[in-house]
Amino acid sequence: MKLNANIPEGQIDKKWTNHKFNLKLVNPSNKRKYDIIVVGTGLAGASAAASLGELGYNVKVFTIHDSPRRAHSIAAQGGINAAKNYPNDGDSIWRLFHDTVKGGDYRAREANVYRLAEISNQIIDHCAALGVPFGREYSGTLANRSFGGAQVSRTFYTRGQTGQQLLLGAYSAMMRQINTGKVEMFSRREMVELIISNGKARGIIARNRITGELETHTADAVLLCTGGYANAFFLSTNASDCNVSAAWTAYKNGALFANPCYTQIHPTCIPRSGDHQSKLTLMSESLRNDGRIWVPKKKDDDRKPSDIPEDERDYYLERRYPAFGNLVPRDIASRAAKVVVDEGRGVGPTKQAVYLDFRDAIKRKGEDAIKEAYGNLFDMYYQITDEDGYQVPMRIFPAPHYTMGGLWVDYNLMTNIPGLFALGEANFSDHGANRLGASALMQGLADGFFIIPSTIGGYLAANKFEKMDEKDKAGIEAAEKVNEKIKRLFAIKGKKTPTEFHKQLGNVMWNGCGMSRNEQDLKQALKKIPEIREEFWKDVMVPGSDGELNPTLEKALRVADYLEFAELMLKDAIERNESSGGHFREESATAEGEAKRNDADYSYVGAWQYDGEGKDPILNKEELTFENVKIAERSYK
Amino acid sequence: MSDIMKNFSVTINVWRQNSASDKGSMVSYPVNDVSPAMSFLEMLDVLNEDLIKKGDSPIVVESDCREGICGCCGLVIDGNTHGPDKNSTVCQLHMRRFKDGDVITVEPWRVKSFPVIKDLAVDRSAMENIMQAGGYVSVNTGAAPDANAVLINRADAEESMDAAACIGCGACITACPNGAAMLFTAAKISQLALLPQGHPERKERAINMVEAMDKEGFGNCTNEYECEAVCPKEIKVSNIARMNREFLIANFLSNK
Amino acid sequence: MNLVFLRRIITTSIGRKLIMAVTGLLLVGFVSFHLMSNLVLLNGQEAYNTYVEHLTGVPFLLFIELGLLSLFLTHILMGIYVRWEDYRNSPSGYKKRNWQGGRTIGSATMLYSAVTILIFLVYHIITFRLSDHSIGFYEMVTNAFRDPIFATIYVLGGLAMVLHLSHGVQSIFQTLGINHQKYTPFIKLGGWIIALTMAAFALLPLIFLFGLESHFMGMLH
Repeated sequence: MKLNANIPEGQIDKKWTNHKFNLKLVNPSNKRKYDIIVVGTGLAGASAAASLGELGYNVKVFTIHDSPRRAHSIAAQGGINAAKNYPNDGDSIWRLFHDTVKGGDYRAREANVYRLAEISNQIIDHCAALGVPFGREYSGTLANRSFGGAQVSRTFYTRGQTGQQLLLGAYSAMMRQINTGKVEMFSRREMVELIISNGKARGIIARNRITGELETHTADAVLLCTGGYANAFFLSTNASDCNVSAAWTAYKNGALFANPCYTQIHPTCIPRSGDHQSKLTLMSESLRNDGRIWVPKKKDDDRKPSDIPEDERDYYLERRYPAFGNLVPRDIASRAAKVVVDEGRGVGPTKQAVYLDFRDAIKRKGEDAIKEAYGNLFDMYYQITDEDGYQVPMRIFPAPHYTMGGLWVDYNLMTNIPGLFALGEANFSDHGANRLGASALMQGLADGFFIIPSTIGGYLAANKFEKMDEKDKAGIEAAEKVNEKIKRLFAIKGKKTPTEFHKQLGNVMWNGCGMSRNEQDLKQALKKIPEIREEFWKDVMVPGSDGELNPTLEKALRVADYLEFAELMLKDAIERNESSGGHFREESATAEGEAKRNDADYSYVGAWQYDGEGKDPILNKEELTFENVKIAERSYK
Repeated sequence: MSDIMKNFSVTINVWRQNSASDKGSMVSYPVNDVSPAMSFLEMLDVLNEDLIKKGDSPIVVESDCREGICGCCGLVIDGNTHGPDKNSTVCQLHMRRFKDGDVITVEPWRVKSFPVIKDLAVDRSAMENIMQAGGYVSVNTGAAPDANAVLINRADAEESMDAAACIGCGACITACPNGAAMLFTAAKISQLALLPQGHPERKERAINMVEAMDKEGFGNCTNEYECEAVCPKEIKVSNIARMNREFLIANFLSNK
Repeated sequence: MNLVFLRRIITTSIGRKLIMAVTGLLLVGFVSFHLMSNLVLLNGQEAYNTYVEHLTGVPFLLFIELGLLSLFLTHILMGIYVRWEDYRNSPSGYKKRNWQGGRTIGSATMLYSAVTILIFLVYHIITFRLSDHSIGFYEMVTNAFRDPIFATIYVLGGLAMVLHLSHGVQSIFQTLGINHQKYTPFIKLGGWIIALTMAAFALLPLIFLFGLESHFMGMLH
């Protein structure tokens, strides 16, 4: 397949402006003639629904939850980046663009990233206007902090709950449109199929989670704002409802899935405490500003941390990366933790953790200063582990957190299926192989508030749409497909729960395709997945019926998709024999064990195409060219 | 420390109700091998896994982020809204808070405005309707001035954030002896009343949101402050006073 | 004429609370005045009777009394209505339910203290306002106070007032929108002081019941 990213001509800083001018427009009075479906109500979905409603389109928005405000964007803590340069520290759109491309290890599209940086400032203006209570200076101006190793302070925040406040801002804008009647809300619905008619995406099948009814909704365009797939690992910092199913359905209907192997593992999470663990909790990485990370020098050292003398401790980040020390980027910090744990130097009851020690910071600044800066995080840590981080070092371990890969989209955020758009974490477009801290919120809102309102008009104005309703053949067939799948699941009546399969899958993925990957392990994992999948379809137990709130059925449907998706993730990881960003291939490393990118062979977006049940997917490549950023090795030594 | 505590057994006495129309009843289940490091919801997960394997319906309990921010979870445990810990959600409650042999009563939110859907899951859409009536600033995308064009006193911004921290779980409503939604509604009115961005519409907002709240059939406020006592985000009843003020000023001193 | 502002006071929850608060505030004013009047008893027969004659000689007394009555009735009827509404939505059916420290004894017993006060009030009006005043006000009151049953009812009524106002006074301020971290602690303290002052209603009958009035005689000059 020939991939056309539709990147506009011209200088990079003029592309978006020119493109908006060149896009066809929908006449204001005609906008009400178009129906648009938005699936998901996180930052991307809520902001898209709000801004499209404001323009006058008829929007139908779907959330899996009882309220749109519960989408997992809400859990983002740190902040949102923008190139405002309020602190006068030399920031600019150009620098944010540059940092994002570099941070993404040169695997993102320049044009998309530049647009993101350009829009970042408008996002802050709009969110402030929406009543997001951003942190302020005493002067009344907005406050900034430095975040995630950035050398400028460009991160705006609302305490440690920036994701929550931005989501509530977007949510409120959407609620206003619901009140005007331009947006119609469908809560407790899960998208289970995509409706394609005459080659265009024209609707979805949504399962009503309360009644089990399969509802057919048609429209002129469908926006997937359904988040990432980190729960493929079972244990991640994602919420339990986060799933890949909507994106996977799109893939199986012909949409390309790009770079699934790019996953971000966050270094400062609270380690698992046992088999019962259902999710992992992230603590803001700002903790690394004052905490020192270490493990004992000896293997299997069972002494209490306080009994281990200074010269028997290995502050491995400070040792390996003297310039950045404990503040190296996420992927590097995570991998370094894995290395010491694999050496048998992990700590805590499971030995799957490293220490994050505030002893020296408390000595230097006093406990009160530490409490003021991180008090809520210490409380959270105490609540979960029953340990006092002021007295004993915290134990941390990396956990899957964000996925850079996603549905392939062009510059207009449209997938290769006409009329099917993907926004936010659900697409692959802006972060390359690794996402910088405080950039996810920025991307979700850029896509929803500022990009889609322009690009969707271009699509709608340029196309003709036949009338469609629920009785259309395409919709009935799509619903039938789901119905059959559900019937099959109930008929199995096996002995294992969907969660058991999910855990099994997560284990395979974490060991085979986690922080550090090699061909042998990847291939071994790839062998195991079809076995688990086969067992799943023979031995899963789904009690109850379809016509009720049935969490086991929902879980089974999602796990079934993960069991297929995981294979694609592994294939992509095998195919990409280089280390870039969140994807570290042991075969592609320097003599010191650092990641080594291979620009000659892998400077492309790997976009996978479904080729039918049981067949190998086809890899399509979108070559990446860098005209504005000089490619360099990412070094933090 | 947690690792010296042994695993133990508890009995869960839990509300089971098949559907909104079903009568429902309390059912007891033993749960063995409970680790003190488990969260309360993980303990229910373990129980549910057993039930599924037996072909029984698992207990429906809502939760999502499991880190106290999404507002999905909400149970009454041994008579305590969100469990026995102060200022936390159910998902943050851990089993080390209990001991071997405990019989733990688990019930859903029981307010008329939140009908039970199934087991422990309730329908909280009444809260959405309040938000929809005015919990926003009517600014269109693209119409905003530079964010620093409007200066906001830092203390006001902080106080606004205190109110904005609401996670919409509904604990305040459940804990209220009258089932009033005052703290929830007040948090939003207060957040926007404290910011200049919210000022152009503050009068309409106060009236519309209060009227929407009443329409949903929530109870009246008798200033008992149980809401503040259970709020996982420590939202203060001074916000209710601010809402009263906003409402009275809007009613008597505006043309609305 | 746009009367929507009046309609909203009756039809919205905050409006109805406003009615409770404003009538409550006026009633607190009235009972405070009433209490001061009662204390004149301690100055003896002559002082008290002169004082009451002054009071009963106020022009338009009937209108004032009717106004007072409507104040009471509004507070009572609105209270009943609000309670009934609360009852409809109040959480119910819990097998277990613990309060988390927001409620106080005063707030949790508002309904009971209200009913007690109401019963007392009816009794009080029948025995004092609608009774035969010919033996003189001082004699009527003090004779009644020396009756143990009568005194008990008065003591109960006074204590109910303490309870009711311990929550009620600060509640008035909250409802009127007056809550500030600097001043609310004082408002709450003030509420308690006013409430405790109401104990004097209970003390007076006891003083007469136990014949201790001579110890207080002249103290209030």
